[in-house]
Amino acid sequence: MKTMKKISLALIVGLALIGFAGNAMADKNAPLAALGKPPIPADNPQTAAKVALGKLLFFDPRIGGDASVSCADCHSPTQGWGFADPISRGYPGAIHWRNSQTVVNSAYLGKLFWTGSAKSLENQAPSAALGALSGNGERDVIEARLAFVPEYVKAFREVFGDRWPRVNNVWRAMAAFERTLIHNNTPFDKYMRGDKKALSEQQVRGLKLFQGKANCIECHNGPQLTDQKYYNLGVPRAEEWLTRGLAQITFRYQQYGKGSTEKMYRTIKDDAGLYYRTKEKVDKGKFRTPPLRYTAYTAPYMHNGTFFDFEELVDFYNDGGGKNEFATKTKLLKPLNLSDEEKEDLVAFLESLSGPEIKMATPKIPPYAPLD
Amino acid sequence: MINRPIHSIGKKLTVFVAGVFALGLIINATSASADGFGPIKAPKVDAKKAALGKRLFFDPRLSGDAAISCSTCHIPSKGFADGLELSKAYPGSDGFRNTPTLINTAQRAAWFHDGRLGTNLNDVTRESITETYNMNMDMRLMQERVKQDPIYVKMFKDAGYGEPSNGSIRKAIPEYLKTLTSRGSAFDAGKMSDAAKRGFELFKGKAGCAACHSGNRFTDDQPYNTGVPNNPDIWRKPLRHMTYVAFGLFMGIENIMNIRRDVGAHVRTHKADGSDIGKFMTPTLRELKQTAPYMHNGMIRTLKGVVEFYNNGGGSDANKDPRIKPLGLSKEERANLVTFLNALSGKPLTGKQHVWPGKIDVNYKPIKDWLKQRN
Repeated sequence: MKTMKKISLALIVGLALIGFAGNAMADKNAPLAALGKPPIPADNPQTAAKVALGKLLFFDPRIGGDASVSCADCHSPTQGWGFADPISRGYPGAIHWRNSQTVVNSAYLGKLFWTGSAKSLENQAPSAALGALSGNGERDVIEARLAFVPEYVKAFREVFGDRWPRVNNVWRAMAAFERTLIHNNTPFDKYMRGDKKALSEQQVRGLKLFQGKANCIECHNGPQLTDQKYYNLGVPRAEEWLTRGLAQITFRYQQYGKGSTEKMYRTIKDDAGLYYRTKEKVDKGKFRTPPLRYTAYTAPYMHNGTFFDFEELVDFYNDGGGKNEFATKTKLLKPLNLSDEEKEDLVAFLESLSGPEIKMATPKIPPYAPLD
Repeated sequence: MINRPIHSIGKKLTVFVAGVFALGLIINATSASADGFGPIKAPKVDAKKAALGKRLFFDPRLSGDAAISCSTCHIPSKGFADGLELSKAYPGSDGFRNTPTLINTAQRAAWFHDGRLGTNLNDVTRESITETYNMNMDMRLMQERVKQDPIYVKMFKDAGYGEPSNGSIRKAIPEYLKTLTSRGSAFDAGKMSDAAKRGFELFKGKAGCAACHSGNRFTDDQPYNTGVPNNPDIWRKPLRHMTYVAFGLFMGIENIMNIRRDVGAHVRTHKADGSDIGKFMTPTLRELKQTAPYMHNGMIRTLKGVVEFYNNGGGSDANKDPRIKPLGLSKEERANLVTFLNALSGKPLTGKQHVWPGKIDVNYKPIKDWLKQRN
């Protein structure tokens, strides 16, 4: 166990946190810190024109199969750049099966989706746009539609040098736009940069609990407040699967589509999480630790939106997590014995991880025109 | 053997014909004789499987956003076509070809106006349901939708398919399509008027129609270029044009962004010299009364117009089949031909046998005691 911890720490340090080597030597979790600028991939540099194009594409429903759903339908600026139901709405005629995550600060993540199935925003966008439960779009149709929008043809030519808009550049432009949705000046960030007045006394107590008695920092560590590793916390299954026919359809579709065994397809009654990617039993029910900034706007919480507010979350951890059908629950979770006051302090600290809401009006979507 | 009427040779040879183009042409030549025309033999049908296929055919939950069913474009009261020049498409797209009738479709050797599928109705069903601009359905999701409906669960079981699956959906729909057989035309009943009979003689003789419109369905299932004019609506309306572009990108049509015509069977044969551009499958002539407008792009509204078109030697196209020449038919002869063509239409297939009676409840009830049930 100890060796594993050292290895993972070394990884974290090696990946992003140059300058914290001293702490790693002490075999601690990566320390909390203010969030810097997001990494920009060398093969997709940010330009103003690319970001502007990506913004239009993000809001354009013609990316979706029936031209009625855009990225912004499940990642809505007015719903924390996510979706306010426990389970995301999904494509018309369907429902998704997991909670829609905020796009805010996704630029910092190396593991996107709840089980890290995409490693970059460029890679996340097509999965969302083309999946049957989300965008249900198709590459040829997307390219064909964009070719009939003169404003896009011009922009793709200027930004990417495309004769006609290329679908891979759709994902690049979307990713560039998403990298502008940054939330790194929260009261917590200000505090960590030295503004000791940025947090209230109560929030400072909460911060101490976060790093100490409540041990949130075990997984929610580093400047992003996530170790980007996978755990089963015993989050209970989504209510929707018991009560909604549409959700039951999606549930089976996922078991079928993601390639479980016949036996598993017949008997499973919960989301096996990371298992669908690795097909390792030890990964059943595991999900990637989410970052915690902007969470004031992104309720409900957890991969299936089980908890509606911070109080419910803190109670869940105070009880030592929950129970689900997978025998893989992390041993890191134990009852915390927090007093009511301590719980309130912790909630107050969580509130300090969000600054002003990132608002954005839906841009005017450029129209189709016939080709000459 | 090739002198025998096609219907008695059976399906195996029909498939064989599709594979061997040259042999197909020989058959064309011989079926221009009086032989080979007659009523269509109804295929043997499993009633329970067909009933299941019928419900699926009318169920919008078989499309991605649950907005359209097969019957949205293949409307029973319009001869299982739609009465439009150019078809509709999945929401967000619009069609670039005329919806073909499904009556007698089980007898075809190749499907779609370009004949690009030459296998079977199982494949045609799959193509139509999954194609983005048709029904845009992930068939795995379709399977789970169907499994959520207790009526289907029972129907699949009763039909001998066991549990609903996307494989058996693709079998049941073709079984239903096999029930769509022309019935009751004056031609089949041997009750044609004298004018129609004179039209039939012209059809086989002076007008030369039977060179391609051969066999019981009055088609040789081969593609030809007759010079049907371009439908400008495809290139004028972005929703149609972009659907053709998406189709072209997928099919590998060269120079797709600059093309302003439907290349037709070129997507199947890809001839380097482009001599196959503009070829379209000979359509059946049965049930024409119900299926106007005509041609692969709906460019001709009436049968009178179609006869005029051929009397004038077809349209103008560099690749036009040399056999299409002005016919020199008199006004009366042209009228007789139209009368004959009308005699090839029978009773509409709009009864309970062919149309799912009542409304399909498209809402999904939750499975009770879900935790205790096997998925």
